[in-house]
Amino acid sequence: MLSPILLGQAVVNGISLSAIYILVALGFTLLFGIMRVVNFAHGAFAMLGGYALYYVYGRWGVPYLIAAPLSALGVALAALVLERLVYRWFYQKMFQSMIGLLGLEMAIVFTAVIIWDPHERSVPAALAGIVEVGGIIVPTDKLVIVGVAAVALAAFYLFTKFSKYGLAMRAAAQDVEIAAAQGIDTTRIYQLAFVIAIFMAALAGGFYAQTYALSPLMGERPLMMAFIVVILGGMGSIPGVALGGIILGFAESFLGTFYGGSVAVFASFGAVILLLIFRPWGLLGTPET
Amino acid sequence: MMMNAKAAMAAVCGLAALAAAQPTVAQEDLKVGVIAALSGGGTAWGLGLQRGVQIALDEVNTAGGLKVAGKTYKLSMVAFDDQYNAAQAKTAAERLVNQEKISFLFGPVGSPGALGSLPVTQPAKVLQFVDGYAPAILKNEWHAGYVFRVNNSNREFAGPIVKWIRQTMPEVKKIGMIAPNDAVGQAAVPILVDAYKKEGFDVWVEYYERGSKEFTPLIVRMMAQKVDLFEINSNAPGEAGLMVKQARQVGFRGKILQSGGAGVDEMIEIAGPLAEGFLKYDVIEFTAPEVKPLVDAYNKKYQGIINGMVPIYYNAAHILLEAIRRADSLDTTKVRDEIEKMEGWETKMFGKLAWTGQAEYGAKHQIAQPFFIKEVKGGKGTVKTVLKPE
Repeated sequence: MLSPILLGQAVVNGISLSAIYILVALGFTLLFGIMRVVNFAHGAFAMLGGYALYYVYGRWGVPYLIAAPLSALGVALAALVLERLVYRWFYQKMFQSMIGLLGLEMAIVFTAVIIWDPHERSVPAALAGIVEVGGIIVPTDKLVIVGVAAVALAAFYLFTKFSKYGLAMRAAAQDVEIAAAQGIDTTRIYQLAFVIAIFMAALAGGFYAQTYALSPLMGERPLMMAFIVVILGGMGSIPGVALGGIILGFAESFLGTFYGGSVAVFASFGAVILLLIFRPWGLLGTPET
Repeated sequence: MMMNAKAAMAAVCGLAALAAAQPTVAQEDLKVGVIAALSGGGTAWGLGLQRGVQIALDEVNTAGGLKVAGKTYKLSMVAFDDQYNAAQAKTAAERLVNQEKISFLFGPVGSPGALGSLPVTQPAKVLQFVDGYAPAILKNEWHAGYVFRVNNSNREFAGPIVKWIRQTMPEVKKIGMIAPNDAVGQAAVPILVDAYKKEGFDVWVEYYERGSKEFTPLIVRMMAQKVDLFEINSNAPGEAGLMVKQARQVGFRGKILQSGGAGVDEMIEIAGPLAEGFLKYDVIEFTAPEVKPLVDAYNKKYQGIINGMVPIYYNAAHILLEAIRRADSLDTTKVRDEIEKMEGWETKMFGKLAWTGQAEYGAKHQIAQPFFIKEVKGGKGTVKTVLKPE
């Protein structure tokens, strides 16, 4: 069964899967890294991003390169209301945030069911078609996702590592009280981190809806994948998200292609269990002091 | 799910208030149960089931209600979501039977839910109308006492479809299938596999965990087996649409056919232009004049795509209501006996009612009706052929 084309196809599929997983997990890890919030409503914001893209691009015909960030930004800014009403109560409260935000997830999802009904629908692809290179097939819409994921990951990393606000975010992540004593407006910094995290979730949700299908209940799987990726890479670690996403994407592609779907699921979850036993802070995370 | 339950309760309260205000029209409430996938990959079927039954109930209510043994009943529905899985279906059945005290139940659609609900409904003599392909839905320890399958199962349609493929696609030698690793894959898919093998086809099957959205690795694995026809088998519309889309995206150029399910429009909605040429089993032709009143009623009441489950369950509801009228009773045993005697009754859109299954399942509780193979052309499902069940 092993052939160069099959191997190449598995690599291509691994890259596109990794890109989706990285995009989905970036916002999730940011909220945890900065505010110690386990955002179980992450999937709901991804779903809202999908619907926003459905209307802005699919219905109103706004050009895709404008529609994708505009939709995500709309969701992120609207979510500031929830930041004030809900999230702010859970900052630095990891366990309480899990339960509270699970409730928020359900409230958002079932409001969406009332508004849109649970029917699955599609968001038109930005680029329809395939590119064939030496017998290996690459769907063009997945090329777009890979490109966006690479740019988002790099921008994310550079912003947190080298910008003034990124530095403030990292300071707040290390010790919020000392950061405040140094003159950092931690409320504003938290809001900024929240907007960026929800923007990423909504952007990823738009791509996810385009790649698969759009429905109010579509967020469950992105949430699960984000959770697995950040556990693998290390909660709060951006390079960890990249590594976790790549491992998960390639494992699913290679194991699924050469050994079947059940083996892929078994091996992926088995690896997470082993990691939680022997290195619970993840591959690139740091142990809690 | 909650919304529907509350809506049903609100309707009940509203009707009760109406009845109180008009004492000359003495009406009682008759609740029928629905278990349907209202979330997840089977949502399209679940909504179709729920809406088909609701339209039938609306028709009877508009005509003044259902007259039984000197009383007039206003019909209402209590619906619960089974998420297309057995455990949720069992929970839903327990709530409907033990709390809501319903005697008549529509659904679930799909083998997992149907098999999960039977241990609750059959001992309680709740008359149930299911759709799912597992033989155990009818061939079981309760001898199908109070359950009818209201759609062809693949035991009835797989043979004719495979013979049609043999006749019309001589180039097809090897079949590839990707099936869910649950009751559908374990009980229903082997029937289809046997039908293909009986006609001399080579068959390759791979399984996935329910809930998956990414089938590309499995499709690539299937393509390495050099299959000529990708058979989507009994996958729910959500998964089936993605399989069609992802197969074309990774360059599968063979035929794609689904011998199972009902309704092609959801798959066109998900796969978009990549659905072109896709072949699909279907239960009805919506452009037929006898189906138009149902389509109009659906479009007036609901948004979104009408699928094959709407006419299937609209038909099932009318079969039940006619049997209740004939029995002049709400006793489920009497109503069941009347349903069994209704062979030859003229349905609104499926011709004369026919029951089969005595030899196969030990009870004539399996509906038998002609079916369609449709092909997606220009973004629409068009009838390619009409076949009869075996």
